[in-house]
Amino acid sequence: MPATKLPPSRPQTNVMLSRVAHSLYWMSRYIERAENIARLLEVNLQLLLDFQGLDEAHRKEHWDSIILSTGEEKLFEEHYKIADSRTVTEFLAFDLRNPGSILACVFSARENARMIRDQISAEMWETLNELHLYLKSQNTTDVWAAGPHEFFSRIKQASHLFQGLTGATYSRSEGWEFIEFGKYLERADKTTRILDVKYHILLPNASDVGGAVDTAQWQAVLRSASALEAYRRAHVSAILPWKAAEFLIFSDSFPRSLHYCVVQIEEFLRRILGETAARPKSDAARAARRLLADLQSLTITDVIDEGLHEFLQEIQTTLDKIGDEVVQITMFYPAESSTEEQQQQQQQ
Amino acid sequence: MAKDLLSRSEQPKPIIVSLISSTYDAGAFFDEMFEPGGKTVRPHYRRLAERLTTLPEADFNHRRAAVDLAFLRRGVTFTVYNDSEGTERIFPFDLIPRIIPGKEWAKLEAGLIQRITALNLFLHDLYHEQKILKDKIIPAALILGAKHFRREFMNFNVPRDIYVHICGTDLIRDHAGNYLVLEDNLRCPSGASYMLENRVAMRRAFPNLFASYGVRPVETYGESLLKSLLHLAPDRTEKPNVVLLTPGVYNSAYFEHTFLARQMGIPIVEGRDLVVQGKKVFMRTTAGLVQVDVIYRRIDDDFLDPTVFRPDSMLGVPGLVGAYRAGHVALANSIGTGVADDKVIYAFVPKIIKYYLGEEPLLANVNTYLASEALDRKFILENIAKLVVKSANEAGGYGMLIGPASTKAECESFRTQVAANPRNFIAQDPIALSRSPTYCDGELQGRHIDLRPYILYGKKVTVTPGGLTRVALRKGSLVVNSSQGGGSKDTWVLQGDE
Amino acid sequence: MQLRINHRTTFTYAGKAHDSFNEVRLRPIDDAFQKCLSFDLRLDPVAAPQEYSDFYGNTIHYFDIADGHTKLTVEALSLIETTPNDDRPPVPSVSSSDLERSAEREMFAEFYTSSHYVPLEVELWREAQDALVEGRADVWNEVCRLGRHIYRTFAYKPKTTGVNTRANDALKLRMGVCQDFAHVHLGLCRSLGIPARYVSGYFFNTTRRPREIEASHAWIEAYVPGFGWAAFDATHDRPADDRYVKVAVGRDYADIRPINGTYRGAPTRSLKVDVKVRETNGRLVHA
Repeated sequence: MPATKLPPSRPQTNVMLSRVAHSLYWMSRYIERAENIARLLEVNLQLLLDFQGLDEAHRKEHWDSIILSTGEEKLFEEHYKIADSRTVTEFLAFDLRNPGSILACVFSARENARMIRDQISAEMWETLNELHLYLKSQNTTDVWAAGPHEFFSRIKQASHLFQGLTGATYSRSEGWEFIEFGKYLERADKTTRILDVKYHILLPNASDVGGAVDTAQWQAVLRSASALEAYRRAHVSAILPWKAAEFLIFSDSFPRSLHYCVVQIEEFLRRILGETAARPKSDAARAARRLLADLQSLTITDVIDEGLHEFLQEIQTTLDKIGDEVVQITMFYPAESSTEEQQQQQQQ
Repeated sequence: MAKDLLSRSEQPKPIIVSLISSTYDAGAFFDEMFEPGGKTVRPHYRRLAERLTTLPEADFNHRRAAVDLAFLRRGVTFTVYNDSEGTERIFPFDLIPRIIPGKEWAKLEAGLIQRITALNLFLHDLYHEQKILKDKIIPAALILGAKHFRREFMNFNVPRDIYVHICGTDLIRDHAGNYLVLEDNLRCPSGASYMLENRVAMRRAFPNLFASYGVRPVETYGESLLKSLLHLAPDRTEKPNVVLLTPGVYNSAYFEHTFLARQMGIPIVEGRDLVVQGKKVFMRTTAGLVQVDVIYRRIDDDFLDPTVFRPDSMLGVPGLVGAYRAGHVALANSIGTGVADDKVIYAFVPKIIKYYLGEEPLLANVNTYLASEALDRKFILENIAKLVVKSANEAGGYGMLIGPASTKAECESFRTQVAANPRNFIAQDPIALSRSPTYCDGELQGRHIDLRPYILYGKKVTVTPGGLTRVALRKGSLVVNSSQGGGSKDTWVLQGDE
Repeated sequence: MQLRINHRTTFTYAGKAHDSFNEVRLRPIDDAFQKCLSFDLRLDPVAAPQEYSDFYGNTIHYFDIADGHTKLTVEALSLIETTPNDDRPPVPSVSSSDLERSAEREMFAEFYTSSHYVPLEVELWREAQDALVEGRADVWNEVCRLGRHIYRTFAYKPKTTGVNTRANDALKLRMGVCQDFAHVHLGLCRSLGIPARYVSGYFFNTTRRPREIEASHAWIEAYVPGFGWAAFDATHDRPADDRYVKVAVGRDYADIRPINGTYRGAPTRSLKVDVKVRETNGRLVHA
């Protein structure tokens, strides 16, 4: 900056535009989402290699359940005839018709960053931009030719780099709260979905429980959440399904567990909405506190009794509500208006 | 002219001893640094010449590289239109400053103040009594047919009676070194950020020269701009909120918008950040709606408010014009100023100055022919290859023909256009723009330059001492626009004369 | 003649509309031939309109409605006194060359050059030449003959043209409604250098012949030195008289849009316009 002094009567204004806050929030969510999908895909492709002998029906089931967990099964059926490793990779990695594909997420993260480029560090921007350029240069065929590992690690690394750079170069301001809130909200949601994949795989075939396939699949679940090593450090024993689920839901130190994420969500939400009183004012804060209380008081036995799938679905719904309400409260405008067309009216 | 330059470039390159070599060719143009003949350095450039003589070329190149890198790092860029990638480029920067002695500047300053004062009176008259039309100083048809004449604002009283708060006037020098006004930019003139960034770069590259030279500071620009904007605020509060309204990140001048907003410490907003309620303008913040008092808008009139202007505009704010009309918010610049920087109206500015101020213009215009006038039109059509033809409402060097440097087909195409729509064209005698030594191809060569000083009209009129000197980096080129191969230089206005 | 006019426009939306910003030109003009005795603008949902006068002397009311609504009604109630036909002076005979030489013509430049709906293309000029093949006389006579030419050679057919139809398009079709007739008439006058402007307003229809079905109407005015603006209605082939109420004038339709605005929300499902012109002695015309 040139050595200009700002006029003393006007200190730097501290207002944060809603649009900027929300771009930060979505930028952060989208990059986290891309990373999670990358991990989910990679782990499941790997899993399939481990079980070459799986019959056609099982393979189909396997991929169907992954599509099901992303919640885009209808869209998938519209555009693809069968679910196999190739079509699912195409759909989840490159298909721009799928708003949840890695490419679509990275594109959205970059677009949001671009809108507020002057408000984030150059390093943050460059990381997203490079990742976007890399993805645009790739396609399913390339990925399979070069081995998918390279591809997925590029995405994960870029996301980690981005989050690390954000921590190192972005001021701890209101914007930071939106970034962190978005990141943990997305991560919590994805952890529930990764766990839910297991539910889809298991339920139709109860006889497999405890078998070799099952252990491998639970290992895959942990790997999908980058949690295998952390789990092994916590539990020396073999991978027990309920132990794995417990770890991903209740761990208070693993940064991808639901519990850990919700602690962060609750904290940043309080700061964003200025919820300082003992009794929260907003539904979002109330819901977050209730969720946190559940995660701090329930046991894995309670969850299994209630049904893992139902438990996870309820959490997903709660997280959605919390996100929507925070956006709405800080938008100071009807939530629908951002997507609404501006209309003209004329009398003829 | 073009031929001369070509033959010169074919001469064998001399061995360079220092940057100022004895082979520098000042050519047949007015050279900013050298007296005619190209041997004697003008007094106000002597100290720079001494510095350059003792500066090893490697050292010079080292500084140059450092400056380029700094520009890139800081994101001092502009976006190029007509480029499928919409890429951002650095505005090329030349390390040899353009120096203006104090006395010379004082004359320019007086001329610019006179001009903006008259243009403001002109706008007020046009949007009120229209005396100048009734007195037949300007043909009414020209105003009524002008693209930027805003009938909607007839009889509207703008805050503090100021229409143009920020003006960038392009000046050139002819072969004799006389300053001439090439055009006024009364809508959303850009480039002030480069003026400021160039100074930062030069202070780093040659810190000692500044101290010894007595260069007047440009760094006050942001503060003066903010003061001018605050001057417009309605009397709602002691602490008015000022914002900069940008069309968004895709705009070519987005860098400048963020830069200026930061300089002033004001929020940069897009149309969708603002909302009008009860004829008041608010910005949407995470803490609620915050009322806005003054908008430094970098959006053209047409896009400001879809209710009143272009209904398809997505950049603007519905209801903004109503709020402006109701006096709850001020806009800088005001609406409808474009009618006065129309290139046809430009031809009348000397008459405008005489009419409103009763003074002779201190700064001359370039001799201009109006295609709308029968005699002028005939002259233009017959001599198109010798003239510079400009479309009335285009900027940035688009819609322009430089006759002497164009092909027959290009001239023919313009001839047809002029005949079909005379109101839309003017022609000017080509001016042999002055040249300044510029570092090209490893040596100093003469390149054509212009100058855009920035004039602010607040409580009083101030001209920032300096401005943006643009340089046509292509050999022989007269087009200095950044979109067409132009670069820039720092502009030093001296306290004294040497 | 004293006329009471009720002009009601209702927009019904397919859902919620909000942040609605509007400008309306509905208040009749005051001039030598009519006085607006009273005017009332009723809005539902309720809003407080403000007003200003535009370049052409039209009154514009502007208002905004922030809250959600599913319907917007704009109702303009005017009471107008028009000058009886017998008290109107005749339009003098002025030659085209006198018009050319008149000092004030210059100030009306925008009324004899191209405008949005009336681009002065060569077809309009040719049509004007054809219409006046019997020779040029005085300005007002030419304006009337051009109007009559349109009346005779154009078909009045609603729904063949739209709100975006320009004069040259209507000329090709040789059909349209009053708006098109007025635009073509403007084009013919302007091609000959006669300053002419668009007039929107109401027409009190006492006889109601098949061609005469509108209460909302459009016609033109041409400038005649020594007289001022003289009005002619090509749709009915006659000068405007005391049954005509002038609401707004401009270069063409683009300058006088009765209601112009933007809002956010659901698209417009229906637009209903209802104009009633009633003579205060009781006769009612309903369109």
